[in-house]
Amino acid sequence: MKKIWLIARGVLLEAVRRKEIYALVLTSLLIIACVVLLDFFQLHGISKFYREIALKVMSAATAVATVVLAARQLPREFENRTIYPLLAKPVSRWRFLAGKLFGVLLAAAFCLALFLVVFVAGSLYLHAPVPWKLMLQFVYLQLLMMLILASLAFWLSLLFNLDAAITVGIIFYITSAVITSATAFIYEWASGFGKALLLALNYVLPQLTLFDLSAKTVHSDTWPPLSFQTMAELTVYAGVFITVYTALAMLSFWRRPL
Amino acid sequence: MADTDEPLIEVRDLVVDYGRGKKVHHAVRGISFRVNRGECVGFIGANGAGKSTTMKALLGFVFPAGGSVRVFGAPAGSVESRRRLGYLPEVALYYPFMKARELLELYGGLQGLSSGELKRRIPPLLDEVGLGGRGESLLKNFSKGMQQRLGIAQAIIAEPELLIFDELSSGLDPLGRHDLREVLLRLKAAGTTIFFSSHELSEVESLCDRVIMINKGRVVTEAPVADLMKPLNVFDVRFTCGEGDIPREFQEFGAVDQGNNEWSLHITDQDAYARAVARMAELGCRIQSTASRSRSLEDYFIDLVRESRDHPAAEAGHHAEALSRP
Repeated sequence: MKKIWLIARGVLLEAVRRKEIYALVLTSLLIIACVVLLDFFQLHGISKFYREIALKVMSAATAVATVVLAARQLPREFENRTIYPLLAKPVSRWRFLAGKLFGVLLAAAFCLALFLVVFVAGSLYLHAPVPWKLMLQFVYLQLLMMLILASLAFWLSLLFNLDAAITVGIIFYITSAVITSATAFIYEWASGFGKALLLALNYVLPQLTLFDLSAKTVHSDTWPPLSFQTMAELTVYAGVFITVYTALAMLSFWRRPL
Repeated sequence: MADTDEPLIEVRDLVVDYGRGKKVHHAVRGISFRVNRGECVGFIGANGAGKSTTMKALLGFVFPAGGSVRVFGAPAGSVESRRRLGYLPEVALYYPFMKARELLELYGGLQGLSSGELKRRIPPLLDEVGLGGRGESLLKNFSKGMQQRLGIAQAIIAEPELLIFDELSSGLDPLGRHDLREVLLRLKAAGTTIFFSSHELSEVESLCDRVIMINKGRVVTEAPVADLMKPLNVFDVRFTCGEGDIPREFQEFGAVDQGNNEWSLHITDQDAYARAVARMAELGCRIQSTASRSRSLEDYFIDLVRESRDHPAAEAGHHAEALSRP
């Protein structure tokens, strides 16, 4: 576990010391600040509008940061040859990959934490209540989603290259909701084979919308927090995809000549 | 020299290919050698000879298409085989966002050192490789030479029993090379087994007990450094020996008339040189000048590569035989 932590710490240091995350947070802050400034016009329901925009921006910005950070981990190690001294130490390839994945998770958590501070500050400024329990569930599910995206980006970066992994990863994040609703919509009109194909697609691709609690958090006056069972089921659901993508990445990496 | 005959590295009939089918490139073609505990062995060869590929096979970075590689008796690449070795890659950049101290903490930690032990070891280690006082500097500000020094520090931080250095002094200035030689001599004296490749053959000469020379993926010479140097002694003697022809025996030595009754001899055998000088004394010849020079490992290496280029079909044995000729 110590070796995994040491490798993860390196990824976290990279995320914290490079400028990308801060640029992303700053850009997002500008968008959120614009929404807060609308309060000058005393619009009705501004706090809900603020929460909706802020949470969506948080989620999108963290997802982009996660995909980029995860996708570049292995190609950069190969390109800069930093992998040689690292794997010359007594650390197995699976521990190396697990450390990288854990590091990306920590970086995503760092990014979310920055946004959370902004979100809470904005809510206090607008005198809007912060639904803490739903908020924590939101953050937890976001982290699960980031782990799915990170493991997918790892696999894609080994399968294709850095650019392709980033592009496909971000496209998948953006279109995930559309894919889910489109498959449900087309399913009714599809033939037998088409139905089987859509059903397979439904199981093969993770439905990222399941991890998006932003709408519930915005309307926290109407929606109670999720039950423990639902949270557990979502954890297992995410765990399956994380395991499958990580295993696929491991298969690509295991016998890869360096 | 080796303290024991215990092999820390054992390579048998190693074959490493890159690519597949018609595009396959045979980087290493069935080489075998061993490195025993306590030895310092130089691994030399021209660019593309297969040195780095062989070293990568020792670390499990590339996988043999044939043969076997064992390090500390365990299969190469296994965690067990990497536990007690230090490795310096041919070219490596280190994480630019890290500080030198953090990088050494990472590598030392991966090798199982506790944080207390790391705190104790890192400052003197940085001093030893010439990076004293730079522990808190970000690596993005390090030059290539400084990165190489740091690479050496990460390789030796856990005081491994076996050091594998690919291109030992690559990127180092003369002072850096001197410092590195000092470090290696200290480690060698402490019994560390060292296996390294280098294009700086004077470095190999001065540090190694034994040399393994490879060419086009095959071992062409494997011998103690002293043995390689021994037959390469060359003596140039200029002398005068009265008027007229010189005695026939000197003609047999290949004496060349330089004019003005001066003759020169080019002798490649130490005994023959001793005999010639004794005979000159007997005959009252006057030695004008004498110069002895040992052909360096570099001369030997250049001859080997030329021989291989001029006679590409020659087998390894023929190379060695050809090169043993004066």
